[in-house]
Amino acid sequence: MEAQAARASAGSGRWRHALESRRVLAPLLIAPAVVFIGLVVGVPFGWAIYLSFTDAIGGSLSGNWVGFDNFTNAWQDENFRRALRNTLIFTLASQAIVLVGAAVLSNFLVRDFRGKWIVRFLVVLPWAAPVVLSTITWLWLLDSLYSVANWTLAQLHLDNGLVWLLGAVNLEEDAQVPLQWLGRPNLALLAITLVHAWRILPFAVVIFIAGRASIPNEVEDASRIDGATGVKKLWYVDLPLQLPIALVAVLFGIVFTAVDFAVVYILTRGGPFNSTQVLPTWAYFIGIDGGSLGEGAAISLFLFPLLVFVTVAMLFFARRAQVS
Amino acid sequence: MPFAIFLAFPFYFALVTMFKTNLDLANVEHSPYLYNDLEGGFHWDFWNYATTEHVRFLFEDTNYPRWLLNTLLVGAAVVAITLLLAMPAGYALARLAGGWGQSAGVAIFLVYLIPPTLLFLPLSRLITQLDLKDSLWALILIYPSFTIPFATWLLMGFFKTIPQELEDAALIDGASRLKAFGLIILPISLPGILTVVIFAFSLCVNEFIYAFTFISSSEQRTVSAGIPNDLIRGDVFFWQSLMAATLIPAIPLALLYNAFLDRFIKGFTGGAFR
Amino acid sequence: MSDAVDELDSPSSALTRGDLLKRGTAAAFAVGMFGGLAEKSFGFAGPLQFAKKQLAGELRIMQWAHFVPAYDQWLDNVYVKRWGEANDVEVKIDHINNALLYSTGAAQVAAQSGHDLFWFISPPSTFQKQVIPLNDIVQEVTKKLGPMAKVARKSTYNPRTKQFYGFPDDYAPDPVQYRRSFLQEVGGSLRTWDDLRRAAPKLKAIGHPVGLGMSNEIDSNMLLTSLLYCYGGFIQNEENRIVIGQGSNRRGAIEALQVMRDIYRNGMSDEVFAWTAASNNQAFLAGRLSVALNAISIARSAEDSGNTALSDDTWLASIPRGPVMRMGNEHVMGVFVIWKFAKNKEAAKKYLVDQMLNYREHFVRSKYYNFPGWTGAIKGGFPAIRKLSAQDPHKPRGKYTVLTTIAEKYTTNPGFPGNTTPVIDEIFNTYLIPQMFAEVAQGKATPAEAVSGFARKANALYRKWRNQGLV
Repeated sequence: MEAQAARASAGSGRWRHALESRRVLAPLLIAPAVVFIGLVVGVPFGWAIYLSFTDAIGGSLSGNWVGFDNFTNAWQDENFRRALRNTLIFTLASQAIVLVGAAVLSNFLVRDFRGKWIVRFLVVLPWAAPVVLSTITWLWLLDSLYSVANWTLAQLHLDNGLVWLLGAVNLEEDAQVPLQWLGRPNLALLAITLVHAWRILPFAVVIFIAGRASIPNEVEDASRIDGATGVKKLWYVDLPLQLPIALVAVLFGIVFTAVDFAVVYILTRGGPFNSTQVLPTWAYFIGIDGGSLGEGAAISLFLFPLLVFVTVAMLFFARRAQVS
Repeated sequence: MPFAIFLAFPFYFALVTMFKTNLDLANVEHSPYLYNDLEGGFHWDFWNYATTEHVRFLFEDTNYPRWLLNTLLVGAAVVAITLLLAMPAGYALARLAGGWGQSAGVAIFLVYLIPPTLLFLPLSRLITQLDLKDSLWALILIYPSFTIPFATWLLMGFFKTIPQELEDAALIDGASRLKAFGLIILPISLPGILTVVIFAFSLCVNEFIYAFTFISSSEQRTVSAGIPNDLIRGDVFFWQSLMAATLIPAIPLALLYNAFLDRFIKGFTGGAFR
Repeated sequence: MSDAVDELDSPSSALTRGDLLKRGTAAAFAVGMFGGLAEKSFGFAGPLQFAKKQLAGELRIMQWAHFVPAYDQWLDNVYVKRWGEANDVEVKIDHINNALLYSTGAAQVAAQSGHDLFWFISPPSTFQKQVIPLNDIVQEVTKKLGPMAKVARKSTYNPRTKQFYGFPDDYAPDPVQYRRSFLQEVGGSLRTWDDLRRAAPKLKAIGHPVGLGMSNEIDSNMLLTSLLYCYGGFIQNEENRIVIGQGSNRRGAIEALQVMRDIYRNGMSDEVFAWTAASNNQAFLAGRLSVALNAISIARSAEDSGNTALSDDTWLASIPRGPVMRMGNEHVMGVFVIWKFAKNKEAAKKYLVDQMLNYREHFVRSKYYNFPGWTGAIKGGFPAIRKLSAQDPHKPRGKYTVLTTIAEKYTTNPGFPGNTTPVIDEIFNTYLIPQMFAEVAQGKATPAEAVSGFARKANALYRKWRNQGLV
C-alpha cells in the first residue's frame, strides 16, 4: 500500500514531493504566523527593552544609555515596591477566589436542571462585556456617595456590623459608614481583588466544565465499582484528573490579572495615596503622564521574567500531570 | 449559587439604571434596584417612572451605533486573519514539528506577558509609517498579534487529538496534505475553530489601549475607546448611558457564547494538552 | 483682601434649609451632573465641511473636551470655520478626555506624526524637547497686548534653555465654591484656613461636610498644593531647586499637613480619598457638600440644572488665607505646543496669535472659564474683565467678579515660586502630593515623616531631570 502511494505521489512531480516533506512544510506553515508576531510584537518589544535601559523622555523613542539605573532607581522607590507587592497580592488573591468559585460553579453546572441555560448565560456575562465598560459600572457600584453596595448594606442593617468586623480583625480601624470601598487602603485592595475575580470567573468556570466533561465515563464507572464516592472520589479521582485543566485556568487568570491596567486605573487611579498601584498603572503614570519613558519601560518589564518562569513551570506541570 | 448572583448582579443593576430618570438616580436615598417616584415610593407600574431618554441619547447623539459597527468589523476581520495564520501554524506544530512543537507552544504563550501600555508607543511609530493612522486598519493589523498566539496554541492542541490514522488514510488514497486537511481535518475541528473565533473576538472587543491611541477621530473609534472618551466629559459622567452602553454589546455576545458553549467545551477538551 | 462673603452683602434670601433640601437639590444635581439634556448634541469631533470652496492648507488641532460643552460647540462650528475661511486653511479639530492628553501626546511623539497644535491641560514641560520654541510669536503678541500674565510666563518659559516651549492660551482660576446658607447657619467664615478649620466640624454636624479631596486626581493636586503655598511649604524656590525638606518650608509643610488632618478628622468624611475629578462636583450638586475648591464648573452646572435654590446659594470666594499668604494654583493652565514634526507650522503660529488677539469672545463663550494668557487680550485688562463678569445674570449678581480678583492676585502656577518644571509635572502626575496628605490624614505617617519622604522623592526626581538638562 505504502509503495503504491509513494509511486503515485512521486509521479506528480518533484515539487510536490518536496513540499510534502516535513522539513519544508512545517516551517513554511508556521512562518507567516511567526513573521507576523515577530514584526508586530517582537520588534516593539525589543525596542521597549532597549528603552528601559535609556533615559528616554516625552514620547521619544531614543535616549542615552543608562544601563540598569532605571531598574535600581525604581527598586528604591517605595511606591514601586508597593506596586510590585500589590500586583502579586491582586493576582494571587483574586485567582484563589476564582479557583474556588469555578470549582463550585462548575460542579453545579454539569448537572442538568431547569433554567441551566439562564444560569449559564448569567455566568458568562462578565466575560462578554468589554472590560473598560464593566469596570466603569463597578465604579458606580462602589462610588463614594452612591454606592449600591453601601445602600444594600444599609438597608440590610449590616453596614455598622461590617465596620465593627473590619475593626475587630484589624483590617480597617476607624472606618466610617458609608464605607469607602475605594477610599480606604485595605477596602480598596479588597474591592479591586473582587472585581478582578469577577472578571475572570466566567472564563475559569467554562474551562472547569470542560475539564469535568473530559473525565471519561470509564473512570466514573470504575470508581463507582471500586466504591469510591464522595470525598474519596474527589480527592483520588476528580482532582488529579482535573489538575491540568485547573492549572491552565489559573495560569490564564494570573497572566490576565498581572498585566491588567484598566481595573486599577479606572477604579482608584492607584489611590488612596498610591496604595493600590500596580506595576502597569505605576509604569503608566511615571512613563507616560510623568514623561520618564525609560523608567516606565523598566517598571513594565519588571514582572516579565517572573511571569515567564511561572508560565513555563505551570505548563510543564500541566503536561506532566495529564500524561498519567 | 451565590457566585452566579455575584457575577450577574452588576448587569441587573446596569439594566435598571439605564432607564432611570436623572432625579431618581441622583437621590441617595432611592433604591438603586427599582424605579422610584420623586418621594422614593415604589410603584408596580414602574415603567411610568422610567425613561428611555438616556438610551435614545446614546444612540442618536453620540456615535455609538457607528462604534458598534466598527467593533464588529474589526472583530470579524481580525478573526479571519487569525484563523488564516493560526490554522497552518497550529497544524504544523501539531503534526509536523515533533519535539520542539511543545516548547514552541509555550513560547507562543509568552507573548501575552508583554504589557500593551508599553508597546503602544513603538507601535504608534509603526502605524504612522504605514500611514494607517486614524483608520480601523491599524487595529486590524495589530490585534492579531495577541489573538494568534493563543489561537495557535489552542489549535495545536486540538489538531493533536485528531487521530493520525484519519489523515494517513487520506494520504494513502493519494490526496495531498492540503486536501487531507481541507476535507477531513477541518470539519472535525469545527468546535476548536469556534472556540478560537469566540476567544479572538472577545479579546478584540476588550482591547482599548491601542484602540484609543491609534484612532483619534470619534467616528472611527471602537466601543471600548469611544465610550470613555465621549460619555465622560471631564467632571460629568453620563451614568445611565454608560450603563446602557455596557449592556448592549454584552447581552448578544453572552447569548452567542452561551449558544456555542457546548461546542466550545468540546473544543477545549479536545485541545489544550493532549 | 476682602472676599466675596463681605463684598456682596445682598439681602439674605429667604431660603430655608428645608427648601434647599427638597427635591430641587436632587434636580440640580441630576441635570447638572448627568449633562443637562439641553446640551445634548456633541459636535466636538470631526472635520468641518466647507461647501463653498476647497481650502488650500490644512491645520490639525487637538484639544480637551471642555468642561463647558457650549464652548466646544461654538469653537468647532463657528470660530475655527471663520478663521479657516479667512486664512484659506481647512481646520480639523479633535477633542479628547483631558486625562488622556498625555498618552496621546506621547504616542504622537513616538510616531513622529500627528496634530499640528496640541493643547495640554497643564504645562507640558516633559515634552520640551519635542516641540519648537515659540519665542517669536510670544514676542509678537507681547508687543501688541503687553506682558503675559505671571502665571502664564512661569508655566511656559524655561529659564535654563531660555525658551518658551509652549504658548499660554488660557487658564482657569480656582475659587472656593460654598453654600452660603450653611455657612451662615453655623456662623462660619472662610477668610482664613483657620476659620475653615473651625467651621468644618460644625458643618459636618449639620450634615454638610467640607469637601477637600485627597485623592489621585487633578482637583486634589491643585488644592493641596495651594494649601502648601498658604502655609509657606514651598516645594521649590525661585531657582527651581527642591527646598521643601528644609527650614521654613519644612515647617510650613508640616503645619499644612496638620491643618488638613484636622479638617479631615473633624469636618470631612472618608469619601474624599476615593474621589475622581467629578466626585466633588457630584457631591456638591447633590446638596451634600458645603465647601469645595474647584473651577467654576460646579457653579455653572448648578445653574444649568435650573435649580435656583442651589445655584443662588452657591457663592464664590477666594482661597482662604494662610499664615504666610493667600495664594492658589490655577485649576487649568491651557498651553498649546507645536510639535517639531508638525506639518503646517506657519498656520499653527498664526492661529495662536489670532486667537489670543481676539480672546474676548472665548472668555465669554466659555462662561468665564478661560482667562486669557495675556490679560491685555481683553481690552482694558482686569478692570474690563471684572465688568464683563459682573454682567452674568445668575444670582447672586456679580458673584463671578471675584474670579477677577483671584486671577489677578491669588493665582499662580504649580511650582511657585519657581517655574513649572518637569519635576513638578512628574510630581503631579504620580500624585505624590495627595499621597503625602492622605497618609497623614489617615494616620499612616506623621507630618514630619511624610514631608521627609516626599522631599526624598522630589530630590530624586530633580536629579533625574537635571541630568536631562531641563531644569
